[in-house]
Parts: sequence; structure tokens; C-alpha cells
Amino acid sequence: MRARRESLFHLIEPLLGSVEHPARYLDHEWGSCQEQDGPFHLAMVYADVYEVGQPNLGVAILYNQVNAQEGMSCERCYLPWKDMADLMRERGVPLLSLEAAAPLASFDAIGFTLAHELIATNVLEALDLAGIALTSAERDEDDPIILAGGPSAWNCEPLAPALDAVLLGDGEEHIVDACACIRDARAEGVSRAEILRRLARVPGTYVPSLYDVVVDETTTRWGRAVPRAGEDVPATVLKRCVQDFAATPAVAQRIVPYMGIVQDRLSLEVLRGCARGCRFCQAGMTYRPVRERPAEQVVSASVEGLLASGHNEISLTSLSTTDHSQCARILRELDGALEGRGIRVSIPSQRLDSFGVEMAAAVAGGKRGGLTFAPEAGSQRLRDVINKNVSEQDLESAARNAFEMGWRRCKLYFMIGLPTETDEDVVGIARMAERVLEIGREVCGRRAGVSVSISVAVLVPKAYTPFQWVGQCRPEEVRRRQQLLLSEVRDRAIRVSYHDADVSLVEGALSKMGRAGFELLRAAWGRGCRFDAWTSEFDFDAWRSAAEACGLDLEDVACEDFPLSAALPWDHTSPGVDKGYLQREWLRATRGETTPDCTRASCTGCGVCPSLGVHNVVQEVRA
Amino acid sequence: MSRPQPTGARPQDLPVKADLARLRVEYGKSERLAYLGHLDLIATVERCIRRAGLPFSVGNGFARRMRIQFSSALPVGASSSCEYFDVRLTERVEPGEALRLLRAATPSALAPSRACYVDGRAPALEAWLNRATWELRCEAPGLTAAALEGAVGRVRERGTLTYLRGEREKRVDLAATLGGIEARDVAPGVVDATLVTRSGPAGALRPRVLLDAAIAEVVGASLASARVRRVAQEHEEDGLIVEPLGPFGPQPPAPLS
Repeated sequence: MRARRESLFHLIEPLLGSVEHPARYLDHEWGSCQEQDGPFHLAMVYADVYEVGQPNLGVAILYNQVNAQEGMSCERCYLPWKDMADLMRERGVPLLSLEAAAPLASFDAIGFTLAHELIATNVLEALDLAGIALTSAERDEDDPIILAGGPSAWNCEPLAPALDAVLLGDGEEHIVDACACIRDARAEGVSRAEILRRLARVPGTYVPSLYDVVVDETTTRWGRAVPRAGEDVPATVLKRCVQDFAATPAVAQRIVPYMGIVQDRLSLEVLRGCARGCRFCQAGMTYRPVRERPAEQVVSASVEGLLASGHNEISLTSLSTTDHSQCARILRELDGALEGRGIRVSIPSQRLDSFGVEMAAAVAGGKRGGLTFAPEAGSQRLRDVINKNVSEQDLESAARNAFEMGWRRCKLYFMIGLPTETDEDVVGIARMAERVLEIGREVCGRRAGVSVSISVAVLVPKAYTPFQWVGQCRPEEVRRRQQLLLSEVRDRAIRVSYHDADVSLVEGALSKMGRAGFELLRAAWGRGCRFDAWTSEFDFDAWRSAAEACGLDLEDVACEDFPLSAALPWDHTSPGVDKGYLQREWLRATRGETTPDCTRASCTGCGVCPSLGVHNVVQEVRA
Repeated sequence: MSRPQPTGARPQDLPVKADLARLRVEYGKSERLAYLGHLDLIATVERCIRRAGLPFSVGNGFARRMRIQFSSALPVGASSSCEYFDVRLTERVEPGEALRLLRAATPSALAPSRACYVDGRAPALEAWLNRATWELRCEAPGLTAAALEGAVGRVRERGTLTYLRGEREKRVDLAATLGGIEARDVAPGVVDATLVTRSGPAGALRPRVLLDAAIAEVVGASLASARVRRVAQEHEEDGLIVEPLGPFGPQPPAPLS
């Protein structure tokens, strides 16, 4: 029987004095929707602590969309930190929503944001704290319908047994359709199984329980999901896509948090999608096509959003903001509109050329903190392999430009473990950092305190990228390359930081596995794994022990190459990008051939536009 | 939005900070927002001021921060009816209008109650408000008002109180910081008390720290719950007590004693 909907804040309140950061559990923030009358109730769960989940733009968009519907309410829920979770378990307090402090198990539907692979054990933790069965198969008729979506839904199979339905692609319209489907089906009194069948008929919705996993000679060891016999469901579920992006509300974040959160600013999504075609980038493939908001909308929404929220910083977010065809105009007009109000404008990613530096200068005003670029690889050869279309010359002129404009600190992002990478490429990272430092000292003088920091991530091959067939670099080899890089960096003005090889290994395994990976997740969670994305909490021994218990070797899983012709564990859910295009891109990568950006050149044949019936929307000719 | 502060102006053309209008605002901190930490409170109030559209002044430092000062931090979990901030404005807004704008832009649990302009050269709030009055409700089986007062007296005799804050040991001088306590029995095991504390170079006494130390002095008692509410913050000097809005406020001027 469904849990009763009632406020249980009185059970949480006595615990607030005993936990870290009680503000995580307070609710009642400015802009939150306190009228939660329903009668249909959805809880959006970001399965991490409040300060990590609250800035998520996706949750904010869906929260507004559902609350704007007549008869539908949407509340938020975040995972309590371990101190609170332990106290709640000890006292028998279930996981509660924020707004109404109602038990999560009392909701009609619960939507999880799959923001990254390492959030998976937290999803199980949230379900368990809520008193909801971990798998779809174990749930009772009246239990909430468990939905999921977000960037990591592109290989959701390891979590699939826990999910009743997965919403693929843009969620603005989709979440409302899914909620309406559940509401109407409940009103008719149909069975849970029938609700799931009806959900599968909502475009873009994948219902894992209606698909069987078949392992045969055409597949990898994880098999492929095929419609269960007798079920009328699509063989491939195509994502949803909002074509008229500019028609969606520009200001999604209306809730002003009380406590400091990880991105404590107003975020405005200025464009969606990126067609640069970096071959390691999952978002670049799965958020296509490119859709820009017009400059006037961005500027007026920024002013309106800042006034309504009281934030003193606004971030113009997207996968590549400086690619917006009206970027310069937007920044110029914003500068005028916000002058003298102590408001900072930030753009999250700098383009690696002089235009990028000019835009960074436009938002920095008179201040010069650090400037970040992402060359990603240390040699031109390898940058061509990953289709990072920037040259040594681009980087050098961007760095020179930045130092001439007053910056003294430069940060460079790289990856290690890229396909075809050699020691020469790794050493090239050190040489590139030295070159940037040299330019800085040339421009600013040796006593100017110029410094360069390099941050080196490990490539985790992701579904729906041209590298999806590639095995991850083995951890021992990753560590050797990291040491090689460290030994090559000799100047103390260059600081090196790198990702932990073990964390990347677990992320890689979760990115590769099929549905059978759920047992690993369950075993890891059972061994206490939660908050795996937190360096302080990640427990590799527990993961290794869980893998052993499941007869798996994490390294074998993550580092396995898949044949180019194999049916992949995620082939049945599609962002619209043709598999043939990805195969061609992989072959071009191996030959070091680059592919242009279709918003600046002609169509490159990724297949998104014809399969989804959409097209790029660019306001002006892109620079 | 309010009229912006010119950023292109030369520093010598900008008004001196002390000459800017200094609006003092009294507000409460109640309900669940009692659990808001001081830094989070500061950020929240700044956002309220921005939402209210008041013409706040911005500092000339690297971070371009709002020119605002707060009274001393409340312990997390304690509520209050008497918190204060001073915000510098680039132009005077009639205090009643400023209060109306602020109330419309502030969560009810932090609602401003009074506002007035004070001398731009007056001392900073945190140091100036050196006396606080607290209302406490303590629940402990067997606790009586007399036992609590006696226990506080014995704690006072120690001269200093040492306690752990996180992992750090802190020490507070009781002679300088503990004013007095008056307790009343409310029900069996339930005692209300009014506590006066002082703050200054010797530090500040947290009511809950005093209560914990006092309850430990009462044989057999352990604190089941305690509610702490700050009900007055004032300036005390040479035996005179001045209330924060003092001679500037909408109410009859201090001194109160």
C-alpha cells in the first residue's frame, strides 16, 4: 500500500542540531513552490547532497514545467549526507521530499536525474531510505513509478532493473507527458504492468521491463535489449527533442538557496547542443542539434532573473557558450545593463582562440583571475584523432593574447588514455605547458609570477561517442603515463593535477556494462558504497570486493574493446546519431582525419536532423 | 532595478564610505531558519537587498562586495527577534519605504521589523553590540529553576569555561561574559530562563555551552532539549544601555536604563 502523504518535518527537526550543514534540509527557499496541492505528485530526486543537486539546471527546468501544469505538483528531494541518513535509519524516518516533507514513498512518481555514472549507488541508497523496493520487479501495485533521465541515461542498463521507465532526451515536454500518462492510467485503475506499457507508448520513453537481454554472437558479453515477445514496444527508442528551444522559459532557476551551493549563481542556458564533434564527448553527440536563444532573450532574461533572485553572479551556460553566434553582442549588452551592480558574468568554457580570450576579457572587466583552456591532448596528431580542431598556433596565440590582456595564471585541461596515445603525446602535454609558460614570461617578464596549471583527466569511453568501442586505458598504464608526465614537468611554476585511476576505472566499468551490471551495483551498495563521486567517500576496495563477488573483474570490464560490428548494450536507446556515423568517425580518428562543425560548414551526416525531424537553429553566421 | 553605482568614475570622485547613507535594519530569525549558519545568512540577506532593489553601495575591492555589516553570529539552532545589519546606500530611501521593499523581498522567517538611518561614522555593529539577552527553555527530567540557577552559579565560580567546538578547544572568561540568569519553573522538568551575556575582547559566551556545563552540575539531570532565543542586543557602556536603533530609530530613544 502507498505510504500516506503527510508532513514528517517534525521527525527531521530534532535531528538538525546533530548533523553537518542543517541548511541542507530546511526547504522554504525563496522561489520554491510551496503550494503542492497535486492531486498528482512528482518528486524529482538528485541523488546527492543538496549543495550538489540544487544547482542542476535539468531538475529546475522539470520542476517548473510540472508545477505549471494544472493538477500536477513537483517537489525536490536530495540525498541526506551520511550523518543524517544514519540518524534517519536509526529512528525509522523515511526519505522525505523538501517542500511538503512528505515520504518519498507517498508520491505518484519519482524522477531520478542520472547526472553521471557514479551516482548509481546513490540511487539505490535513495530508494532504500525511502522504503521503496530496489527493483521494478519487486515493487507493489501502488508503489510510486520510478522514472529516470539525464546525461547518463545513454547507458542506463546497469541501473535498468531499478527503473520503471527512462526518459530519453529533452525533458521539458516529456516529463509532463509521462506524468499525465501515469495520472490517467491510475485514474482508470489499471495495473502497474499496464501503466508501464502505456508509458512505453509515450515517445522517447524506454521501459526496461518490457525488453529482454539477448546475448548471442552478434553482441558483446553484455548482450542487447530486444522487445519482449508479445510486447508492442519500439526496437529502438529515439530521444525527445525540443526544436523551438527559444520558446522555452529562459530563466529556469527560480529557487534561491540559503546555503552556499557548488555553483552559487544564476545559470541561464543560452544554447543547447554542440556540433564541434569532439570524439570523446558524449554530450556533444547526445544533445544535438544546436539551438541558440536570440541575444535579446538572453539579455532580458538575465536582467529579469537577477532581479527576481538577488544573485550577484550569472553564468551563461551551455556546452560551448563562446560558439553562440551572438556571444559578443550578448556580453556587450549585458555589460551595459548590469553596470555598477556588482554583478559578475561568467562563461563556463573558453574557446581556444583569440575570440575566446576576447570574450573572457569582456566578462572579466578589470579583473584577471585565471583563464582556462582545454587543448585536451598534447600533440597535433592526437588532437586530430579526437577531433579537437585547434592547432598549436591557436593555443599559442590565445595564450599570448591572454597574457597581453593582463592574465597571469593559465589552466590547461588534458586527457590521458586517449586512443592511439603514445609517450610522445604525454610528454607533449608537458612541452605545451612549458611553451605557454614561456610565452607568459616573454610577455609579462620573468618576475611577473606567471603560472600554468594542468589538469589531466582519464578518458572514459562513453556510449554514443566514436570511442564507444574502445577499451579504457588500464589503471597501471594510466599511472605510468601520469608519472611520465610528472617527471617531464620541470618548472615549479607549472602545477599538475590528475584524476584518480581507480575512480575512472569504476566509471569506465559502469559506462560499458549491460543490464547484468546491476548485480555489481547492488553488491557495491551493499558494501557501503555511496557518494562514489566524492573523493573522500570513494572506496575502491569495496568496489573490487563487490566485483569479485559477482565474478567480474573491473579492469576486464572497463578495458575491453568491443568489435565495431557488435550490437552494443545501449543500441536500443538512441539520441538520433547514426551508428554508421559513429563508426565512420572512429575510422577517421584512427587515420587522424578531422571532421568539421556542421554549424560552420556543411552537414557531416550524423543523422540527428533527419531521424528527429529537427535542424540547427543558429541566430547569425558563426564566427 | 535601482540606480547603479558608477563604476567608471575615478576613486576620488566617489563618495567617501562614511558619507554614504547607512541604513540599519532589525530583523528576526525564526522557525526552521534558526538552523541557517551565519555565512549562509549573510548571503541570503544580501540577496534580499538585491531583490528589494535598494540602491546599495558596492566596495572597490577585487570582489566588488556589497557594503554591509552584521551583528554578531547567532549559534546555529538559536532563533532571534533582534538581529541587525547596516547597509550603505548610494542614495537615501525613506526608511519606511526601504522596510516595505525589504519585507516584500525577504522570507517571512527573516522578516525585517524596523529600519532607520544611523551615523555613517558610528562603530561597527558586531563590536558595538556587546550585551545580549537570551530566553532559554530547558527540558531535563527533575530539573528545577533553583537547581539551574545554583548550577550556573557553581559554573561561574570556575572563572573560565573550557569546551570543545568541533575538534578545537575553546575557553571563555565567565567573569567578563556571563551577566546573570533568572530561571522560572514552567512544568515538572521544564524551566524557562532569561540569560544576559556580554561580548568583547574576552570572547562571547554561547548559551548552549553554559547550559550544558550547568546541567552537568545538576546531579542526575541530562538535557532532553533546549531552545535558545536571542531577544535583545544592546550597547552597554558605563552602566548605560543603548538599543541598536538608539536615538535614530522610530521608537523613543534610549537609554533604557
